[in-house]
Amino acid sequence: MTRPLKLVISGPVGAGKTTFVQTLSETEVIATEAVPSEDIGKPSTTVAFDYGTLRLEDQELHLYGTPGQDRFDFMWDVLAQDALGLVMLVGGHKPRDFPAARGILEYITARHQLPFVLAVTRQDQPGVWRPEDLALYVQLPPHQVIGIDATNRASAATALVRLLEHLPARHDQDVTLLT
Amino acid sequence: MTSTMSKQEVLNATLSTLRANLPELKGVLVATADGLPIAQTMSAGTDANRVAAMAATALGLGKRIGDTVGSGVLTEMSVSGTDGMVFFYAAGRGVLAVVAPAGMNLGLLMMEARDAATAVSSVL
Repeated sequence: MTRPLKLVISGPVGAGKTTFVQTLSETEVIATEAVPSEDIGKPSTTVAFDYGTLRLEDQELHLYGTPGQDRFDFMWDVLAQDALGLVMLVGGHKPRDFPAARGILEYITARHQLPFVLAVTRQDQPGVWRPEDLALYVQLPPHQVIGIDATNRASAATALVRLLEHLPARHDQDVTLLT
Repeated sequence: MTSTMSKQEVLNATLSTLRANLPELKGVLVATADGLPIAQTMSAGTDANRVAAMAATALGLGKRIGDTVGSGVLTEMSVSGTDGMVFFYAAGRGVLAVVAPAGMNLGLLMMEARDAATAVSSVL
């Protein structure tokens, strides 16, 4: 049996990280929510992490959602330890948060060599940024940017499937760790 | 504490009392449950913003651990090392962090800190 894959779900406040983990997890999500003291447009915010698990394509996945605020950057680092992939979420309705997303991505990838995909959420809503436009804007290859609805299981799962395509083959993994 | 004091005054007075009663403490801080500092007397060289965020993380994680082992409503969470300790107390909608050196009288610390946490929770 293959070992579980640890994946990190990150992104700015309100991108949909907690929703993403809750939508996909097949086990009860361990969430750490607190009441926000700033106006962030929602009634709760993650202060440690969200944790959920699922099986996808015969692979067990462990999802760790991070907090979004910069002051919790130590948690980005803690959660990215020994992770094998990263899903960066950005709200398609919040283009002003794109630089924050880039900041988080650079913070994590500068410290941990992680394959990643960028997922633009709220694709079920009108007037949001589309993945092809965001790919152009952030200058990433189109296959690395995907549009999802984090509240829809099949849609959210496409981000994980795309990420798995970017991971080195599983049998290479132990070799990679040794080099 | 009298009702004529503002919230900020109550918090500052609470921290001052705690520091005066336990002068060996390295720092005390009050943060919101989502990790923003509200009042603090941290020693120089310690980033209060960072401690505030970590206090929220510790309390959030402590709550989940407590749920898992069935320890009821969280009252405090602690981290101990060879050179010191930090205690995080649930205080209403906030958290009180108390940083102590190794070898402190823990009985006294806990008595004083719990009183302080009660005072903090009365305004948060």
